[in-house]
Amino acid sequence: MAVFLMVCWSAADAAQPKLAKEQILNIAFDAGDLKTLDPHQAASTNDRSAVDPVHNGLVRYPPGDQVKLEPDLATSWKVSSDKKVWTFSLRKGVYFHPFPGFPKGYELTAEDVVYSLTRAADPKRSSYAGEYTGISVEAVNPYTVKITIDKPVSEPLFLAKFASYAGGFIVSKKAIETKGDEWIKINPVGTGPFMFDSYEPRQKIVLKANPKYFRGAPILKQVVIRFMPAVASREFGLRTGELHIIEGLKEDKWAETVASFPDVVVKTFGPCESQVLHFNMAKPPFNDVRVRKAFSYAVSREEVAAFMGKGLAVPIYSPAQAPPAPGALTKEEAQKAGVIYESNIAEAKKLLAEAGYPDGLKTEVIISEMASSYQKPMIAIQAQVKKAGIDMALKVVDHSSFHSLIRDDASPIVYYASWRPNVDVFLTRFYHSDSVVKTGKKPDTNFTHYGAVDADGDGNVDSIDDLITKARWELDASKQAAIWREAQIQLLKHAAVVPIIRLKYNFPMKSYVDLGHPLEFSWATYSPQITEKTRILAK
Amino acid sequence: MFSYVVRRILQSIPILLIVLTLVFIVVRVLPGDPAVAALGDYASKEAVNALREKMGLNAPLWRQYLQFIGDIGRGDLGTSIITGYPVAKQVAAVLPHTLLLTISAIILGYLIGVPLGISAAVRRNSFVDYFNRVFSLLGLSVPAFYLGILLILLFSIKIPLFPVVGAGEFANLKDLLRHLFLPALTLGLLMTAYITRMSRSSILNILGEDYVRTAHAKGVAENRVLYKHVLRNALIPIVALGGLYTVVLIGSSVMVEIVFSRPGLGTLLVGAIKQRDYTTLQSVMIIYTVIVVLINLLTDLIYGLVDPRIKYD
Repeated sequence: MAVFLMVCWSAADAAQPKLAKEQILNIAFDAGDLKTLDPHQAASTNDRSAVDPVHNGLVRYPPGDQVKLEPDLATSWKVSSDKKVWTFSLRKGVYFHPFPGFPKGYELTAEDVVYSLTRAADPKRSSYAGEYTGISVEAVNPYTVKITIDKPVSEPLFLAKFASYAGGFIVSKKAIETKGDEWIKINPVGTGPFMFDSYEPRQKIVLKANPKYFRGAPILKQVVIRFMPAVASREFGLRTGELHIIEGLKEDKWAETVASFPDVVVKTFGPCESQVLHFNMAKPPFNDVRVRKAFSYAVSREEVAAFMGKGLAVPIYSPAQAPPAPGALTKEEAQKAGVIYESNIAEAKKLLAEAGYPDGLKTEVIISEMASSYQKPMIAIQAQVKKAGIDMALKVVDHSSFHSLIRDDASPIVYYASWRPNVDVFLTRFYHSDSVVKTGKKPDTNFTHYGAVDADGDGNVDSIDDLITKARWELDASKQAAIWREAQIQLLKHAAVVPIIRLKYNFPMKSYVDLGHPLEFSWATYSPQITEKTRILAK
Repeated sequence: MFSYVVRRILQSIPILLIVLTLVFIVVRVLPGDPAVAALGDYASKEAVNALREKMGLNAPLWRQYLQFIGDIGRGDLGTSIITGYPVAKQVAAVLPHTLLLTISAIILGYLIGVPLGISAAVRRNSFVDYFNRVFSLLGLSVPAFYLGILLILLFSIKIPLFPVVGAGEFANLKDLLRHLFLPALTLGLLMTAYITRMSRSSILNILGEDYVRTAHAKGVAENRVLYKHVLRNALIPIVALGGLYTVVLIGSSVMVEIVFSRPGLGTLLVGAIKQRDYTTLQSVMIIYTVIVVLINLLTDLIYGLVDPRIKYD
């Protein structure tokens, strides 16, 4: 019997892949430095990749998944019959990472959750405050938290606010109260599988394993996140094996070349940034719906996708989130509603002539220096619309300047690549009248001025504000999605925007890195998520 | 000499002040909001405004300027407006790497460049001369970043001898030198090109002097003429212009640091520009200015040492 057991044990052991001796994972990002590791403010890809493994939320999207929610710091939750009061039971025995004054950390309680969510709702301390309006949080006992919302929302919209992402991250009350908000910008304290270890400005962040992690101690001993803005340097580092994972260019040809290197696999995954072309409807010539429709007919999103590379770019038809996000408009739905504007140069020319531009028109558009997200697709679009007589000059500026200028309403067209956690946020921030750049009540990223101008030329201001509000408070998820689709169809009928493509993320990595989960989607980080299961296998 | 040094340092104060003012204006003329750069496009307007207030960017420009000059006067480089990390600490962490890289490149440049220059001048219009001239022309024409990439392809990818990421640790000398070799060679070859050309033309000038001809006529041995009469005099412009080329080298080190992902003033500078990190950007520019002023001063002093005809009043 003993011999049999030993044989079984050895067989099971042999089936396990061998681990590399050194479990230190090196990742390099296209970045000059970190901006902040405060989870309630971190927004860039590299910052999020460091924030994510350090923190948890009440609930989480399992690594690699984008739809299903599962318990994280909360073990369970229940909701009142009026859907206004949500009660979360917290996991016991979860410890914050050590920090000065607390060399062993301390146990997470409801107080930390209340503190974190109240902080997430504070516009001075959080970039995501708007999403927590009308929400109050209180501790019922050390392991129970009650969250009350003024107006109930559907479960997917509600739980998303408390997932391990952005404002949903739970921070250490004691760390921030004793060390301050500035301190945690480069010294984050959370409960995640990895603890912050050190930071070298413009060089790297080092995270180390948290042996007390409640899902089990991580296999990796360290994660080194490097800032390497030169793509050639990242590529060389990957080839020599000094780097295990690198942020790649969102270009098919480049990905193909890198994939041909020994021991390298290229992973492409979502969430994809939706690239949408927004017309400034407050100024001529794009205040005329016929000109916008002409432009829409002149563009072929399929050609843009092919130009970018079929492995990375997918044509989209939704002016908000791209499918499979709930409520995102699919090609079939857009086709049925007659708002696809299939490429048709003759129709484009006809519409331009009707609008008083029989010889075409000239325009100058400000675009960002970022090649994959802005320059390349706009170069393709520039060539397409030229055929219809639209002479679109591209003024390339650096990325920071681009963000300032477009918020200053300086460009007649804004080509914008973005990802937002749900359709509600997308519609609110890009198309609600309050969000109109410069002149809205809460100026944000409504570059089209939709909701503040007459979009179809009938003399009345057109808006989807009511639809956005109605959908937000709709508790039935399928009805909510239907209202979102209705709003998107209206935007497209008025040709306020042209959805172009969604572009996948592209991270080449060493074939002997096992992430520990499938990589179809990375909710929290835009980069492969590093968890307690991630490991480096022997070559 | 002491009074000369003091006077030169005092003379550099107006230069520094002009540079400070120019840097202050230029970084603020650039479009782009540091608060948006820090928080990303997803941040709400309130969050951006709150951060701008915290960064002190909502204060009038004149107040920001006075604050900036006052801080610099007190030797306070401030903190990064993006991360809040002290700029002095950032500079202290990277400056040794930039200095190490630049000094290694200068040493390499002189070690390779002077013998090449001598051999080219002594064997003028021979194959050696042509080869050395083409070699130095190539060194001047090939951009440092391109040369760096070629060296990486050869010595890190094809023949995996040297690492390509980072600069190693000062505590581990072997590691430090392995990381230093390729970047130093990249910059060193650039310096070699300058020094080779300069040495050649300087030696050729001296070779035509009467006292050299006299030495030859007296039957002094060829090597003795070369080392005692020619090189000594040819050294003066080589040292003097070497200082100027060192300044060029510091400029080129920016790209080399980026290609080799090394910590350094260059990576600090480029990162600060991208993030619109005004305080770091201003401080790095000041450090560069101080380095250039110091190199010029040092060059003048060395000039006096190698040429006894020069006296400091």
